[in-house]
Amino acid sequence: MKIVDQLREGDKRAAAKLISMIEDDDPGATAALAEIFPHTGKAHIVGLTGPPGVGKSSLINRLVREYRERSKKVGVVAVDPTSPFTGGAVLGDRIRMADTGSDPGVFIRSMATRGHSGGLALATFDAVKVLDAYGMDIVFVETVGAGQSEVDIASRAHTTVVVQMPQSGDSVQALKAGILEIGDIYVVNKMDLGGGDTMASNLDFMLEERQGWRPPVVQTAALDGRGTKELADALTKHYRFLKRGPLWRGREADRARKELFESMRHLLAETFSDDTAGIGFEETVGAIVARKTDPRTAARKLLKGLKLPR
Amino acid sequence: MPKKIRILIAKPGLDGHDRGAKVVARALRDAGMEVIYTGLRQTPEDIVEAAIQEDVDAIGLSSLSGAHMALLPEVVKLLRKRKAADILVAAGGIIPDEDVRKLKKAGIKAVFGPGTPLAEIVEFFRSAAQ
Ligand SMILES: Nc1nc2c(ncn2[C@@H]2O[C@H](COP(=O)(O)OP(=O)(O)O)[C@@H](O)[C@H]2O)c(=O)[nH]1
Ligand SMILES: [Mg+2]
Repeated sequence: MKIVDQLREGDKRAAAKLISMIEDDDPGATAALAEIFPHTGKAHIVGLTGPPGVGKSSLINRLVREYRERSKKVGVVAVDPTSPFTGGAVLGDRIRMADTGSDPGVFIRSMATRGHSGGLALATFDAVKVLDAYGMDIVFVETVGAGQSEVDIASRAHTTVVVQMPQSGDSVQALKAGILEIGDIYVVNKMDLGGGDTMASNLDFMLEERQGWRPPVVQTAALDGRGTKELADALTKHYRFLKRGPLWRGREADRARKELFESMRHLLAETFSDDTAGIGFEETVGAIVARKTDPRTAARKLLKGLKLPR
Repeated sequence: MPKKIRILIAKPGLDGHDRGAKVVARALRDAGMEVIYTGLRQTPEDIVEAAIQEDVDAIGLSSLSGAHMALLPEVVKLLRKRKAADILVAAGGIIPDEDVRKLKKAGIKAVFGPGTPLAEIVEFFRSAAQ
């Protein structure tokens, strides 16, 4: 496939177009993803999550520069919500990532959540695969830590970074439920505002070792760059811990399991959304309204005779 | 899923505020488009690089100073150099008629003066994506 060859030769436009195909659910995306898949699995995937405004984009901007100095190629996928009313979105993460300019070793992509039928995580990580196959050594995924799907994305990365700032949790009770479980690394950003030490030690007190890894708490100030090196070192350390330890295979299987499941769900959703599959969906709706069958029974019957799209 | 329209809105040059650019960005979002907003002080190189990575259909440049006569055509030129001339470029701002003619000659597809109805701008970007 031409677009895949171009991508492998380092054509940025080809990579960008392929991500669009994935986002638009273009029929060609499946074949292209199959072709790039053998070239993936090389990048360190880092998810950053946290409430809006804590400085995730600013932090990524710093990290991109840090990793460029370490001669690594860096990809970024920044996810922001689609307006449920208009289907549109203003994606502004690049405002804080302007430092990287036109560095050929950097690829930043903004993504809106849209209404992905197979789950947002699937589309996001397919985009990550494109950047992986494109040759990026590390890929950052930024998500707003608000809903389940975002947490889901964050926990899909190799390394999950939970970003907080001093005010957002003087008492750690204020932290969102579940946030203490998902992070491999915790960041208290905006240390320049004061109160970072208190926040960091509160967090540190709450965190426990999980499967041989004790999540560190790193203080940063993305504004002036303090803590960037420490954070990058922590990221690398966690990746090494995973890769060289006994967890790697299990984690890889977990990821594959989730992606397989989501791909199946996506395929099912697709089959139903275009009635061309000729499974008699609308007729069944009529039968349910007329009380001739019930939704659960009808669902089983329809799935049995299912013809999947090519 | 139908193809989403993606537009890059940027403000090249060193001057001023981005109120106009934000108004246009919101109008495009409300029309169902995805707007990549890159903020102030962008060089033509940055803008073209972002447009390629984000795979946008068109670029909207907000311009308030005299510098536009150098910066806007530079964006078109760089797009051509990167084999991305299919990405259309429009400009908005206070631009004298004479300069509008020059800009159009340089490949800027549309120039929207102050007071242009937002609907007209939205329509331009919609057809630019066809
Ligand atoms: N004081 C201070 N402000 C920061 C710091 N990091 C980011 N900001 C500011 O916080 C705001 C939100 O930053 P952004 O990176 O967009 O946050 P995001 O929504 O989490 O991606 C911006 O105005 C940044 O300039 C920091 O370390 N200290
Ligand atoms: Mg952000």
